[in-house]
Amino acid sequence: MAGMELLSDQGFRIDGRKPCELRRIQSKLGVFGKPDGSAYVEQGNTKVLAAVYGPHEPRGNIVKLQDKVVINCQFSMATFSTGERKRRPRGDRKSMELSMHLQQTFEAAIMTELYPQSQIDIYVEVLQSDGGNYCTSVNAATLALIDAGIPMKDYVCACSASYLDDTPMVDINYLEESSGGTELIVSILPKSEQIVFLSSNSRLHEDCLNKVLDMAIKGCKDVYLCLDETVREHMTQVSASFSAD
Amino acid sequence: MPVDNRRLWTPEETIPPEFITKYRPTTELVNQNGKRRDGREANQHRPTYLKAGAISQAKGSAYIEMADTKVIAAVYGPREVMKREDFTMSGQVKCVFKFATFSCKTRQKHIEDDREKELSMTILEALKPAIRLDKFPKARLEIFITVLQDGGSALAAAITCGSVAVADAGMEMYDVVIGCSLRQIGERSLIDPTTDEESHRSLSQSDEKSNETSQAMMTVALMPSINQVSSIIQKGELSIDGAKQALKQCLDTARKLHPVIKQCLNKAVEAKLKR
Amino acid sequence: MAEILMSEAERTFILHGIQDNVRSDGRGCEDYRPIELETEVVSNANGSARVRLANSDVLVGVKGELGKPSLDTPEHGRLEFFVDCSANATPDFEGRGGEDLALEISSMLARAYDCPSCLDTQALGIIKREQCWVLYVDILILECGGNLFDAVAIAVKAALGNTKLPVITVRKDENDETELEISDDPYDCERIKILNAPCIVTLSKVGNQHIVDASLQEESCCLSRLMVAVTENGTITASKTSGSGSLNPESIIDMLESGKRAGTLLNKTLHAKLLEEEVKVGTKKKTMGFLT
Repeated sequence: MAGMELLSDQGFRIDGRKPCELRRIQSKLGVFGKPDGSAYVEQGNTKVLAAVYGPHEPRGNIVKLQDKVVINCQFSMATFSTGERKRRPRGDRKSMELSMHLQQTFEAAIMTELYPQSQIDIYVEVLQSDGGNYCTSVNAATLALIDAGIPMKDYVCACSASYLDDTPMVDINYLEESSGGTELIVSILPKSEQIVFLSSNSRLHEDCLNKVLDMAIKGCKDVYLCLDETVREHMTQVSASFSAD
Repeated sequence: MPVDNRRLWTPEETIPPEFITKYRPTTELVNQNGKRRDGREANQHRPTYLKAGAISQAKGSAYIEMADTKVIAAVYGPREVMKREDFTMSGQVKCVFKFATFSCKTRQKHIEDDREKELSMTILEALKPAIRLDKFPKARLEIFITVLQDGGSALAAAITCGSVAVADAGMEMYDVVIGCSLRQIGERSLIDPTTDEESHRSLSQSDEKSNETSQAMMTVALMPSINQVSSIIQKGELSIDGAKQALKQCLDTARKLHPVIKQCLNKAVEAKLKR
Repeated sequence: MAEILMSEAERTFILHGIQDNVRSDGRGCEDYRPIELETEVVSNANGSARVRLANSDVLVGVKGELGKPSLDTPEHGRLEFFVDCSANATPDFEGRGGEDLALEISSMLARAYDCPSCLDTQALGIIKREQCWVLYVDILILECGGNLFDAVAIAVKAALGNTKLPVITVRKDENDETELEISDDPYDCERIKILNAPCIVTLSKVGNQHIVDASLQEESCCLSRLMVAVTENGTITASKTSGSGSLNPESIIDMLESGKRAGTLLNKTLHAKLLEEEVKVGTKKKTMGFLT
């Protein structure tokens, strides 16, 4: 992209961040009453709602598993969420792929053996998209699962990173995503530092991989701190309302 | 039908000729004597021909003709619902409404479009209250309605035709359902409008462009013996009094059609007994 | 729509309450539940609004695109309604599960707005037969807490009122070819007049009475309802019955009357609120969105 510098001479990115800086994360648990758990996460201009139903008996043509719970994910994007209007909110290849990725991520984090012959639904809705759809979706879904009280090994935190202008950058936005550089997405369980999902597109020199990966993992841990704070705040409020009654 | 687009070059989009031609009928929708283009009074229904049992393979069927509007309906079932998850204690009804590809001025597509889907739902809502669903649990009744020619008030004709077909299939019903449409243009209300009357925005050709006159379209489904309205669908502007008036006129006309339907069903039963 | 399980005793309780004009949450038969409204919640859309009517949550985004006018109205722009029932609302909506409800809502809206006096589509026309604005009104249903149609209609009207379309100037260049110039100044924009746009009022028949704004519990007690699209001056732009029951002609007339009363009041309240919201937007208000 001509005429647009991704990193200024002073070392600032397009939206004014430093390379190692995340976008502002704002989140909330328990947005809706109907689902068993719900959460809303804003990462900069990317806004995602997640809802969790279950565990319940498998519905429709989903086959029961004898030893663990079936995790069913659906990723959809509001038709007005992107700059150009989307024709369909879901069902296209990109969102199918993302649904599958979400499912894989959470199968690794939820203690699936606790609910054999049941099903957990995770529904993610992107209201506004500015890069990092997968990451924000994972973070929102984690909060929704916590709100639903589903036992997990740990939080799942996701963050993206890129290597642009010879600098590793964390939590890239839409403009940085579409500038042609590589995009490395990683989801981790922050306490044990286990990677549950890792994906990368376009090429990246082997020497840089570690730098970018470290950056992304650092980002995930920062995300964890933000999410944990929200959860603790929410729990304090909930327990306060219990004791007030 | 697959078309060989590589050998037979066709324009990417086509425009039906009536959008280009300058020809417009010169007569007004309603003349000074209050007569409409086809010579009817404003509150007069078109002569209606109704026949039950038009399709021999179907459990029940009916054909209705109101001048240029021709609709055929067939009823199959009630058939057993195969999937256990879909069981319900009251019977299910499915309704598919379709404009035949050649039925309208512009060609209709083979696949059901949104308008047809919505009309299917409306017809289903109109017919369902009349059918005794408790008589066929775990089973589904299927109603297929096809408009062969749309000469206006197709929805009303489809409702009447569908209900006669259900009755002809020997389903237990509380009552038959009669549909009736009304077109309101300004102060004029025209019962059972033709396609011309449905599409015109004003009475005279001269002020066709202006948006001043209010216009509305209302279709009502009535169960005449128990005096219950099973469905209303209306679009376009109406004052509250206008809406009441339109409703009343539709109901009056629908009641007038009741003897026609009774007679038609009687005939169908007699024919069946003779066989 | 989302179904809930209810006992016979609960049904009777609701029914008797409605007969005495006291509903289970203390409202009268023609009262709405509290409505929360916020405009400009999605920055990628030309206009947006979020409405929360008790537990029903609706988000509407309006996006303007340039398109070709339809053949029978060459000088007019048009509105396209698209409803998406998010699976967040109920797992039944997963995949294509919500499509029937979505179609019912979008066709009701299309009918309600298809009347020249309630929305000036001619103002959306740009070049006759060539170019016009197509406003995609995308409705996202996030939670169903009863009375979806009313909530959707309020949100649609608010979002249309909030819509800002860039000013377009049509010019002829030397070769006599028309050129469109789209203003890139965010303050140089056109608004849509929505004063005459309709709101939908759903009247549910419960027992011998009818009520506005039925909750989920009340909806499950009601067999038939009448939806009326009413403008501020009380004209009806569309109406439709739905549900598995039928209605008495006299009660329909009563319902139309109540629909008109409730609808005009609802429109007035909405206009006042939108004006208030407009002032707030002017002073750089902070959007709260779902964080409240």
